[in-house]
Amino acid sequence: MASPGTSPNGPGVSLKRIVAWLAAAFLLLPVLVVIPISLTPERYLSLPTNTISLRHYESLVTDGRWSKSIADSLIVGLGATVLATGLGVAFAVGAWRLGVPLARRLRLLLLAPIIVPPIVHAVAFYRAWATLGLLDTYLGLILIHAMKGLPFVVLTVAGTLANVDPRLEQAARSLGANARQAMGWVILPQIRAGIVAGAAFAFITSWDETIVALFVTSRAVTTLPRRIWEGLADNIDPAIAALGTVMIVLTFIVVAITTARSASAKA
Amino acid sequence: MKDTLVLDKVEKRYGDFVALEPTDLTIGAGEFITLLGPSGSGKTTILMSIAGFVSPSRGRILLDGRDVTALPPERRNFGVVFQGYALFPHLTVFDNVAFPLRARGITGEAARPKVLAALEMAKLQTFAHRYPRQLSGGQQQRVALARSLVFSPELLLLDEPLSALDRALRKEFQTEFKSIHREVGTTFIYVTHDQEEALTMSDRIVILDRGRILQIAPPSELYERPATEFVAGFLGKSNFLRGRTASASQGQVELHMPGFVSTAAENGVAPRVGAPAVAALRPEKIRLAQPRDRAGASACQVRGRVSDVTYLGASVEVELKLEDGESLLAAVPAGQRSFVEGEEMVASWGSDAAILVRPSEASS
Repeated sequence: MASPGTSPNGPGVSLKRIVAWLAAAFLLLPVLVVIPISLTPERYLSLPTNTISLRHYESLVTDGRWSKSIADSLIVGLGATVLATGLGVAFAVGAWRLGVPLARRLRLLLLAPIIVPPIVHAVAFYRAWATLGLLDTYLGLILIHAMKGLPFVVLTVAGTLANVDPRLEQAARSLGANARQAMGWVILPQIRAGIVAGAAFAFITSWDETIVALFVTSRAVTTLPRRIWEGLADNIDPAIAALGTVMIVLTFIVVAITTARSASAKA
Repeated sequence: MKDTLVLDKVEKRYGDFVALEPTDLTIGAGEFITLLGPSGSGKTTILMSIAGFVSPSRGRILLDGRDVTALPPERRNFGVVFQGYALFPHLTVFDNVAFPLRARGITGEAARPKVLAALEMAKLQTFAHRYPRQLSGGQQQRVALARSLVFSPELLLLDEPLSALDRALRKEFQTEFKSIHREVGTTFIYVTHDQEEALTMSDRIVILDRGRILQIAPPSELYERPATEFVAGFLGKSNFLRGRTASASQGQVELHMPGFVSTAAENGVAPRVGAPAVAALRPEKIRLAQPRDRAGASACQVRGRVSDVTYLGASVEVELKLEDGESLLAAVPAGQRSFVEGEEMVASWGSDAAILVRPSEASS
C-alpha cells in the first residue's frame, strides 16, 4: 500500500492513475461512440466499415425537419432561460433581502419542479394546457420549461448571495443610490457568476427536456429531443449520431474557452 | 448651533421586544458624539434609525428642524462607515470613493478632483487602482472613510469602525478620526462598546443600557461624576461602597458601611437619612499605607489584607480583603513600594473622593 508520502512515480500513484483513467473511460467512451457512428455511409445506425461519409451531417443542414427542430429548441430554450432567470433572480434577491422564515419556506416550495416526477408533471400539464389552449404552442412549452429551470436559477443565485454582505446594499443606499441603482450597481455584479450558472442550467434543462415535450407538443413545435425520439421510433437515422457529435464538439469548445478564461483571470 | 439633529421620543419595538425605549437626544452641529454601551443597549438601533435603515415605531427625527423620519436613506445625505467597512468588492478604491458622486450624477472629469482630494485626505493616493481585497484592514478602513466623506455629508455615522483592527491600529485611528473631524467639521456620531475609544475621541458620550440612555456628558464629567452604578462600572473601574446614609450637609453625606465610614458627594442623588445608598470610589483615589504609618490618616479609611497584586506598568492594582468580606481595589503609582499578599494595609481617601450613584435595578 502506498502512503500519501510516496514519490509521484511510486506504484501506488500509478495504480491511482489507472483507476482514474478507467473511470474517465467509463464516463466518456459510451458518449464518444457516436462519433464513428455519425460517419457511417449506411442509412441505419452502424459503425463505418470500409469508407466514411459526411452525408448525415449534410442531412442535418439540408433536411428541413432537423433544422426546424434545432430552431424550435433554441426558441423554447432561450425563452425559458430568459423567463426562468428573470423570475429566479428576482425571487432569490427578494428572499435574501427580506431574510424572513417565510422566504426560506417559499424557496423549498420552488424546488417542487425538481421533486415531482416528470411524468406526473407531464400529465398535469397536458390536462391544464388543453383547457388553456396552450397545447402545441411555443408559449406553452416555454412556460413549462421556465418553471422547470426556475429551481436551478434560485439555487445557484441564492448560493452566491449567501456570500454577499447584506451591508453592501445599505452602504450603497447610504451613499445616495436608490434601491434600483443599489441593485444594478452593487448587488447584481456580486452575483453575476451565479446568474450565469443558473441561466446555463435553465437552458440545458429545456434543451434536454423530453417527457413533457412529448405530452404537450405535436406538429407545430418539435424540439430536438422530441425529433430524436421520433427518429429513433420510426427508423434508426444516423443523423442523430451526427447531431450528437456536433453537440459534443460544441460542449468541448465552450468548456475549453471558459476554462482558459478563468485560468487567465487567475493569473 | 445650526444643523442640529434631534431625536424626539424615538422608540423601536419588535413585537414585544423593546430595542429602544422612547429616547430624546439633541446633537449639535460639528459635534463628535459617541453612543457607548454593551451589546443590546440600543446604540446601533439609534444609529440605524438616524441612517434610515431602521424605521422607528414612534417618534420623530429632525435635521435642522426638518422631519426626516420617513426619508429613505439615500435622500438623507448622511455618510455611514459600517462595521466591516462594506466596500464594494468589484470596484477599485477610486471607483468605491467615486460611487456616491456617481449616484448624484457626477461622473468622469467632474468627479475626479473630488475623489482625488478624498483619497489624499485618507492617505490613499497610491492605492487608487487596487481592489478592496488587495488592501489591509487599516487601508480598507481609510477607503470606507474617504467614501463616506467625499460627498460632504451632513453627518458622519460610524458603526464600531475599529472593532476589526488590532490594538496599535485602533490607537492610530483614534487620533486620525479626531484630526479628520477637526479638518472637515462634520458632525460625527460614533457607536462603540469600547470605553477607551469613547473617552479619547468624544466631545460628549451617551451611555446606554438595555434600550435606555443613562447619562449624556463630556468624558471627564462622565468619569468623575457618573450618575448611576452602571455608568461608574462600565466606564473605567470602580469600587462600590454600600451602606446607609447617616447625615447630609452641604452636598455631602456620611455613609456607614458595616466596618467603616466614608463621606460621599451627593451628586444629585438625594437619599433620605438612614436609607441604603451606594457610592462609587475610583481605585486611583485610594492611598495605601501600613497600619503603623500614621502620616496619611484620614476621616475615610478602612483596614484590609492584600489579596491580589497586579502590575500594570505605570501603576499597581492592589486588591484588599476587608474585615467584612468585601474587596476594595486600589490603584497606586508603581515603584513607590512593593506589596506582599497577606500584608495588612490601611486604605484611605479624601472626603470628596467617593460619590453617590443611583443603584442599578436588581438584575432579574
